[in-house]
Amino acid sequence: MKLTDTKADQHGVIRKIDGDAHFMNRVTAIGITEGTEFQTVRNDKKMPVLVYLRETLIAVNRADAERIEVEAV
Amino acid sequence: MNTRIALLGQPNSGKSTVYNALTGSRQHVGNWPGKTVEKNDGYYTYKGTRYTVTDLPGSYGLSGNSDEEIITADFIKSGQADLVCILVDASQLERSMYMVAEYAALDKPAMLLLNMMDVAKSQKKEIDHKLLEKRLGIPVLPFTAAESKGYEELKSLLAAELENPHMLLSHPETDQTTSVLEQSKAKYRWISEMLDGVTHTATPEYKLSKFDRVATSPIRGKLLCFGVVLLAFLVAMIVMSPFMAIGQMIPAVLNAPIANLLNGWHVHPWLVSVFSMMLPNVLYFCISMASFVFGVNLVFGFLEEIGFLARAAYQFDGVLSKLGLQGKAICPMLMGFGCTIGGTCGTRVMDNWGQRMLAMAVVWAVPCGAIWGVIPVVASMFFGPGGTLLVCVLILCYMLLMMVIVSKVFGRKLSPAESRSGMIMELPPYHKAHWKHILKEAFLKAWDIFKRALGTVTLVSLVFYIFSFSTSGNIQSSLLYRVGTAIEPVTRFFGLGWQTFMAFLSSAFAKEAVLGVLNAAFVGGSNLLEATFFAKSATPDNAALAASMVQTISKPEALAFLFACTFNVPCVMALSTTYRESHSLKWTARVALFYIGGALLLSCIVYHIAALFL
Repeated sequence: MKLTDTKADQHGVIRKIDGDAHFMNRVTAIGITEGTEFQTVRNDKKMPVLVYLRETLIAVNRADAERIEVEAV
Repeated sequence: MNTRIALLGQPNSGKSTVYNALTGSRQHVGNWPGKTVEKNDGYYTYKGTRYTVTDLPGSYGLSGNSDEEIITADFIKSGQADLVCILVDASQLERSMYMVAEYAALDKPAMLLLNMMDVAKSQKKEIDHKLLEKRLGIPVLPFTAAESKGYEELKSLLAAELENPHMLLSHPETDQTTSVLEQSKAKYRWISEMLDGVTHTATPEYKLSKFDRVATSPIRGKLLCFGVVLLAFLVAMIVMSPFMAIGQMIPAVLNAPIANLLNGWHVHPWLVSVFSMMLPNVLYFCISMASFVFGVNLVFGFLEEIGFLARAAYQFDGVLSKLGLQGKAICPMLMGFGCTIGGTCGTRVMDNWGQRMLAMAVVWAVPCGAIWGVIPVVASMFFGPGGTLLVCVLILCYMLLMMVIVSKVFGRKLSPAESRSGMIMELPPYHKAHWKHILKEAFLKAWDIFKRALGTVTLVSLVFYIFSFSTSGNIQSSLLYRVGTAIEPVTRFFGLGWQTFMAFLSSAFAKEAVLGVLNAAFVGGSNLLEATFFAKSATPDNAALAASMVQTISKPEALAFLFACTFNVPCVMALSTTYRESHSLKWTARVALFYIGGALLLSCIVYHIAALFL
């Protein structure tokens, strides 16, 4: 499923990221990469998805979050 | 001897705090050759030796293709720095070590500053920095940038490292032929090896604090934002008022003594009025602008540092994405309500040039603090208290519409859909505010504007002076009046008579001048010059102005005038700041022409529509 499909307090692992090199660089440099464990903190309509990973609370733009495949654990 | 230091770090690593603390006001702001990215150089002296410090552009990595990353990587590779001091956030060590992993491949001397140790300690995170030092092979210094006590140790370490530099012992095994994703995985693997046993990274369940639950909720969070910002402006006004008061006193205090002195020397009257009237008022305008910049930067610096602005960016990302912008643009837009100059500088948070220029163009649509001092005064003359409120609401509504129009007109060029980068940002934990640092930053910015404004405002004042100069002291013999009345048949169509058109023109000079010009044009008697330059210090008689304005112009005309003034180009200093920040004369001029044309068209529309109802 996509990052945007996760629910608050759900834990998961990033599986696949889709986008051009520019997008990949931005996402991975902030700490989101394949295999990273995360916890969705908030996921409200029309708002960025709020995730917690690598000890950091990160807001991911909704359209960008659509390009991140995750797996729930 | 090696004396060139560069600071490298991700956003929120506290890099600029360290840079400012090291160099103080001994800074130079320039441009990276051929790029629109700002270059900050400064220096400090330690034990008789002068060290230069380059503040490298903040980015999350070094291998991306943004201007910031290319500049930084090229700068390091070229060996222009003898030592690179890398900053990482000790409270998010694993993630922020990414910069070190990127740097390692460049094989240049470095040292590591473990910043935000206070935050790490408060989160009960322990870091074995000695072990990390051994693994990396470069010195590692635990640090809290916002506290002044660590800087002696830092300076002594920097000096020692410049004498005897160290390189990183290992670097991630990345294969350049593989994908970005594979390479980043290798980098994080390397980080885990480096941090093994240095700190524990067990991620506990994250719980939003009570406050954050409100701050991140879709509706209550937005209300909270508006509340906090409103409160912030209130505080800013209180802080600014003594400076404003002193500034206002200057023309009154200096006018007579200078005039007497020069008259005693039998200087030409024209020069006497330049020195006794215009220059003290230029000083007042500059102090006023600098106080606005100071106030706005003080409160927004505070909101930024405690971490609140990141929440605001989160709140408005959805809406702003539709404009081709992103959440981070909310900060300059809110700053714009205080001061367009401040808001323009505030667009530095944007990630790429196109979005930044677009954000500046949008910020111009936000009515600034100075024009909010004009709107209620004029509106209440014509529409009463209830009507005034309605006018303010209408102006705010049009502001939103104008933002949409500006983003539609310029967005396609400046922020085409395929190059838009959405917001991916961290919401840092709430910090304590370090007032000394915030005050210093705000002061430096205000001082910078003050210095630049002196030149620009003097020049524009002189031009205005020549146009409004009249030998008889009567407004009717000034060039401005002649031109104004000559083109009145045209401006009438836009709903502007010669008086209001003059005030409209002056609003592009400084919004502070609008009431003064209205006073001179409508009440007459007094010299236009005097009225313009004594705008506030002489407190124009609002009752007399009201009586005359209501008699001379109709309600639709007044409404059209208010809209025209509010949505005209911002003041000259905001224009010059936009040019300086964007480095693009072409785009600054384009947006300025659009605003002037737009304001006249708007005036026309408002006038003709209002004429149907009022």
